[in-house]
Amino acid sequence: MPMSDEPQRRLEREGALFFGSVGAGLSHELSNVFNIINELSGLQQDILAGAAQDGTAGLGRVADLATRIKTQVIRGEEINRCLHHLSHTVDKEETTFDLGEKLALLGSLAARAARLAEVELRVRSPESPIVHLGDPFALLLALHGCVTTAIKAAVSERRIEIWSESGADGVRVIIRSADPIPQLESDTPTAAAIDAGCAALSVVPRIEPASEGGHRIVLALSGVSTEMA
Amino acid sequence: MDHLKVLFVDDEEELVSAVVERLDLRGIDAVGVTSGDEALHRLRGGSFDVVVIDVKMPGIGGIEVLRTINRRHPEVKVILMTGHGSAEDSEIGRRLGAVAYLQKPVDLEDLLMTIKQASNRGEGDHADE
Repeated sequence: MPMSDEPQRRLEREGALFFGSVGAGLSHELSNVFNIINELSGLQQDILAGAAQDGTAGLGRVADLATRIKTQVIRGEEINRCLHHLSHTVDKEETTFDLGEKLALLGSLAARAARLAEVELRVRSPESPIVHLGDPFALLLALHGCVTTAIKAAVSERRIEIWSESGADGVRVIIRSADPIPQLESDTPTAAAIDAGCAALSVVPRIEPASEGGHRIVLALSGVSTEMA
Repeated sequence: MDHLKVLFVDDEEELVSAVVERLDLRGIDAVGVTSGDEALHRLRGGSFDVVVIDVKMPGIGGIEVLRTINRRHPEVKVILMTGHGSAEDSEIGRRLGAVAYLQKPVDLEDLLMTIKQASNRGEGDHADE
């Protein structure tokens, strides 16, 4: 069922802000990769220039630096793959997708913010793949807002885990923090993003105490999900 | 001749390793660390002429380290680096007395020139804040 105008406008507005924010973060990470490649290749040139002058071999070092450059290239390719994956989540409002893959993407998109906040962020793969019919972009928008809320509140234990569960009553995505998570304040950019994404998904996030300590945010997804054997 | 002593600070370990080695090859006595905390620890333990530091890092960032340097080591010159060129950060850095604000990727020869220029500046360049 197509959304009415107002929720659609909110989704588009918050979606654009989300894209801008994560895009800037991915761009920054890619910039770091290029910077490192630049310096490592410059060091190769320095070593070869030194070898040309005084005859020292240095070839072993040059080869080692080539390996380190390759590692950065692989890192850059992964960042680019995330950007590509994110870009295609807006292709269709309703499509079937692998929920585990989207949670892995979520982990990658939130990784920089977690690193800067010195928070350990872990995404658990589901035991069996879960295929969900829904809006992958709205889901990412809502979940990213929830993870951002949890990261900002993770000031003591600094551990967050994300996973999905499939049961008789449907599929849930759970974001658990070892620290307390505050109730979502209205009129904040993060709350607006969560609202817009959840409205598009027809879900309401629940913040509840976790039995192991801390809190968790639970999104019970509507729509059709299938756990693949 | 005493070599310039430079402390290079960035959370990317590979970058620190490469830049420190390249500075060493150019006659700079360079030390690298990967956090603001480590930078402040090193400054307590040794004397440096110039600190080159990334603005945005996990934990204590470059601006906060600059404020601490102003209080504890006012003779040390600070060069800020950033990957995103925030005008606000640039202005804060300038007001706090950073001698330069460089946008990454920083060309090594430009960095070397900036380091040498920084070490030739007079006293009293740090604002109190």
